[in-house]
Amino acid sequence: MTSKITTNKPGSFILLNGDEAVARGAIEADIKVATAYPGTPSTEILETLSKAAKTLNFYAEWSVNEIISTTIAAGASMTGARAIVSMKHVGLNVASDAVMTLAYTGTEGGLVIVVCDDPALHSSQNEQDTRYFAVHSKLPLLDAGNPQEALNMTKEAFNISESLHLPIILRLTTRVAHGKAKVQIGNFQKLERKISFDKNGSRWVMIPVNATRQHNVLEEKLVEAKKISENFTFNTIEDNNSEVGIIGSGVGYYYARSVLDTKKFSWLKLGFIHPFPTELVKKFAAKVKQLIVIEELRPYIEENLQRLKLDVTGKTALNLSEIGEYTPDKIREALAKLNLTEKTSTPTAIVGLQPRPPNLCPGCTHRAFYYALNSVNQHVACDSSKCIGCRTCEKICSFEKTHISDASKARIHVTRINNADHIAITCQTCPNAPCVTSCNNGALSKSVKTGLISVDENKCIGCGLCVKACSYGAMVLDSGKRKVFVCDTCQGDPACVKHCPRYALTLVGRSDDKIVAGDIGCYTLGVLPPLNTVQTCLCMGGGISQAAGMVHAGVNGKVFAVIGDSTFFHAGMPGLLNIVYNRANVCVIILDNRIVAMTGHQPTPASGQTAMGDTAKSVSIPEIVRSIGIDKIVTVDPYDVKATIEAIRETLTYDGPCVIITQRPCPLISERGRPYEITEKCGSCGLCTTQFGCPAIITQINDENSNNSNDDATMPVVGRAEIDSSLCNGCGVCASICPHNAIVPLVGRKD
Amino acid sequence: MKLDIVFAGVGGQGIVVLSDIFCEAAMLDGFDVTKAEIHGMAQRGGSVTAFARISEKVETPLIETGKVNIIIGFEILETTRALHMLTPDGTVIVNTKYLKPNNFSKNIKPKTQQELLSIIKNAATNIYEVNASNMANQLGNNLTTNTILLGALSALHNMPIKRESFEKAIAAKLKEKYLQINMQAFELGRQSVQNNVHKT
Repeated sequence: MTSKITTNKPGSFILLNGDEAVARGAIEADIKVATAYPGTPSTEILETLSKAAKTLNFYAEWSVNEIISTTIAAGASMTGARAIVSMKHVGLNVASDAVMTLAYTGTEGGLVIVVCDDPALHSSQNEQDTRYFAVHSKLPLLDAGNPQEALNMTKEAFNISESLHLPIILRLTTRVAHGKAKVQIGNFQKLERKISFDKNGSRWVMIPVNATRQHNVLEEKLVEAKKISENFTFNTIEDNNSEVGIIGSGVGYYYARSVLDTKKFSWLKLGFIHPFPTELVKKFAAKVKQLIVIEELRPYIEENLQRLKLDVTGKTALNLSEIGEYTPDKIREALAKLNLTEKTSTPTAIVGLQPRPPNLCPGCTHRAFYYALNSVNQHVACDSSKCIGCRTCEKICSFEKTHISDASKARIHVTRINNADHIAITCQTCPNAPCVTSCNNGALSKSVKTGLISVDENKCIGCGLCVKACSYGAMVLDSGKRKVFVCDTCQGDPACVKHCPRYALTLVGRSDDKIVAGDIGCYTLGVLPPLNTVQTCLCMGGGISQAAGMVHAGVNGKVFAVIGDSTFFHAGMPGLLNIVYNRANVCVIILDNRIVAMTGHQPTPASGQTAMGDTAKSVSIPEIVRSIGIDKIVTVDPYDVKATIEAIRETLTYDGPCVIITQRPCPLISERGRPYEITEKCGSCGLCTTQFGCPAIITQINDENSNNSNDDATMPVVGRAEIDSSLCNGCGVCASICPHNAIVPLVGRKD
Repeated sequence: MKLDIVFAGVGGQGIVVLSDIFCEAAMLDGFDVTKAEIHGMAQRGGSVTAFARISEKVETPLIETGKVNIIIGFEILETTRALHMLTPDGTVIVNTKYLKPNNFSKNIKPKTQQELLSIIKNAATNIYEVNASNMANQLGNNLTTNTILLGALSALHNMPIKRESFEKAIAAKLKEKYLQINMQAFELGRQSVQNNVHKT
C-alpha cells in the first residue's frame, strides 16, 4: 500500500519503517526534489517518495551515484525549493566532496541529507559513524531513534536548514530505518515558493576569496546552530529525581529504557547531536551523581562529556563495544553488572545446526557466470569416498584414446591410498606445471586458454623427466613409442566421468589459478563456497582499479575484474577509462542484469524507466564501453555456459584491456521458467551441489537407520540430489552442465 | 497484554510480508506495534527472522533472548535455530517443510526432519505442527503457505487480535484476484489449530 504514505489525515496512525517515515516527513514538509542512489538500509526513502511524486507534484530520481544525487538536491535548494537526498553511510563518502563545501556555500531552500548507518554491517562494507562526519564537515546532525522521530525530525530539519541556511544531516541506523512502528502522521505544509536562482550570489562560487569568507560565515552559523540544539524539541530530559542519569541517542537509548525500571532513573535523550548541546548536558549532569552513556558505534557523546570534564560511565566501564550493534540482551548484561537491573538467564542457541549463509538466488545469472569462469581450466577429480578401485576409468580411457582396452595406455590411474580406499588420479592442470618446466626439449606446453598440457610428439624423446616431475603420476610414458601422453579431458567431455559406475569422477574447474577482483553488489556473494570465485570487495567501482594496480605491480597471469551494471554506471566508468588510457591488461566483466538487484530492484540508466515510472532512454553498455576506448568487447548470455567459457578463453590470449558483458535480466524480475527435476540417472556425483551450488538443488540426507541396513559399506553417505520445485527458477543451467543428463524439465507442470 | 512474536524462515518465503500483515491487524485493534527483521545480504535463500511486538506501548523493535511468546516457523531448520528466543511457556507453530541447505562444511552433520522435530519438542511445551506447504499445494498455490500459518497464529487461544482484523489486514495487502484463495488458506490454518489434532 503506497497510498498510505499520501494519506491526508493528520493525527492518524500508520505502520511505517524509519525510511518510509522520513519520506512521509519530507512530503509533509512540501519538498520539491528528492534524489538518491540505492543503498541498504536507505533505499526505501526514495522508493517511497518516487511512488508518491506524481500524485503530490514533486520530482524524484534515482541518480547514478551519491555525489550526483547530492549536487542535484543542492541545485534545487539554491533556487529556494526544499530538497532531500538520502544515502547509506558509505554513500556519504562518495558525496563528501560536495557536502564538505556545501557547508561553506550554505543553502537557500531547506536541504536535508539523510544518511543511514549500518552497525553490525547487515549489508555493508564498514561500520563508519556519521556523527563524526558532522564534526568533520561542521554540519548540524539530528540522530533519530525510532520511526516517529524519523518523521518528526525530517520535518523539523527543513525548518532548521532554512533558519541556518545550512544542509542538515539526519542520521538513522539500520534498526531505525528498517524497523517498523506505529507512527502518527502530521499535516501537509503548503509553501508558496518562488523558484529562482540568485545569479549574483558570490557565496555559490567557492574561489578562495569567497570560500574564506564563507568559512567564517559557517562558524557564525554554528554558534546559532548550538543555540537551537540547546533548546531542541528532541533533546528531552525526563527528570525522575534519581542519582543515576542516563544519556543516550539512537535506538540504544530505547534498549536501555526497555531493560530498566524507567522511573528509577533520570533520562536525557539527545536528538540534536552536533553541535553538541553542552549547557543542556551540564544542567542534566548537575542533577545526578552518576552519568551513564548508551550509544552505538563510536563514543561520540562520551567524548563530548569528557571534554566538559564530567565523570562518565561509558563504553569501557560498561564493557560495551564500538563494534557491531547493540541489542536489549547486551544492554541488560552491561547494566546488570552495575546492579541497575536484574540479569536474566538467557537460553543459549542450539548448536550443531547447519548454517544457512547468504547465497546467490536460484536462477542467478552471476552463479552461471562464475561457474563458467571457474570452468575455464578444468580437470577430472575423484572423490575417494566413492571410488571402489574398479579401474573402469582406466579401461574406458585407453579404449577412448587407443581403441584397445589396456590400462597402461590410460591417462587416468587408480591408486590404493590405504587398506580400504582408492583414488583415480589424472592431470590436475597445476598452475605452475612442473612437467612443462622439467622438459628440456620444449615438447610440453600448457594451454593459456584451457590450462591443459599438450605434448609435441615431434619434440618428445621419451626421456621421462616429466614423469618424475609430476607428483600426481599423471604423465605416462608409452614404452613402445617412447613418447609421453597426458589427459586432455576428451576436449571437456571426458569418457571416464560418464562411465564411472560409482559417479566418483567429476570434471571440476578451479578458482585458484586466476585473480578475480570484485565489487559491490549481489555478485560479491561469489566469494562464498562453493564458487569461491571473487577475491576482493573494497568500494563502489574499486575492483577494476585494484586489478589494474596488480597488473602494474607485475602480477602473473590474466587479471579479471567483475562489476555489476549499476555499479559500472556509478563508479566503474572512470576506472575503465583509466585502464584504457594507462593500458592495463585487465579483463573487465560487466554483469549486466538490467537492474540494481541487491537493494530490491531499482531501475538503472539501462532499464529504460525512471524512478517516477516514465520512459527513459535506455543507454547501451556496449556503446559506452566502445566509446571509452575498449577495442575487444564480447557479449554473452551467462546461461549459455559453454559459450561463456569460450568467450573468457578468447580474452586470455588478448593483450590489453578488454570487456566481457554478460547480458540477462535478474531472474527475480523475469518470468519464472518451468522447474526442473532430477531423474534416476543421477548418481550423486555432486557437481551441481558442490561445484555449482544452486540453493534449489538439495542433497538428500539419508536417515541414520537406512545406513544400518546398507550392506554395501562403500555406498556414499550423501544421497541423490533433488530439486525443490518451489525454489527452482527454471533457468536450466544445472541441466546443461550435468554430465549424466540427469536433470530434465519437471513433467506435468505448465509453469 | 503483551505479545512478542518471532517469524523464522528462509528468504523468499514471505516472512516480511506476513509479519507486516500481523502488525497491521494488531494496529486495527488499537495496539502499539514495532517490527524488525534480521536477514543477510542475499535476496533469497538465507536465514530470515522477523520480530513483531504488540502491547499498549512498545519502545524497541528487538526482543530479549528467552522472552518470545510465539515462534511462527516457516521451515523446520530455521524454527529450530530460533528456539532459544522462546519463553519456557511459549508456543511454537511450525510448518514441517524442511528446506535443506547445501552443506559446504564437512564438520556439521545435517540433521533429519525427525531429529529437528524432536529438538523442537524437547524445547517447547505448546507445539502445533502444521504441514502448511502441503496444504497450500493441495489448495493449488504454494504461495498461500504463509497465509495458512497466519490463520494458525490467529486461532491461538491467547491471541488478542480479532479474526476480522486479520482478514481486513490480508485484504488490504493482497491483490483482489488472490484474495479468495488466501481467505480459504487462512481458514484452513485456523482449523489446523482449533482442531488441535497436531498439538503434541
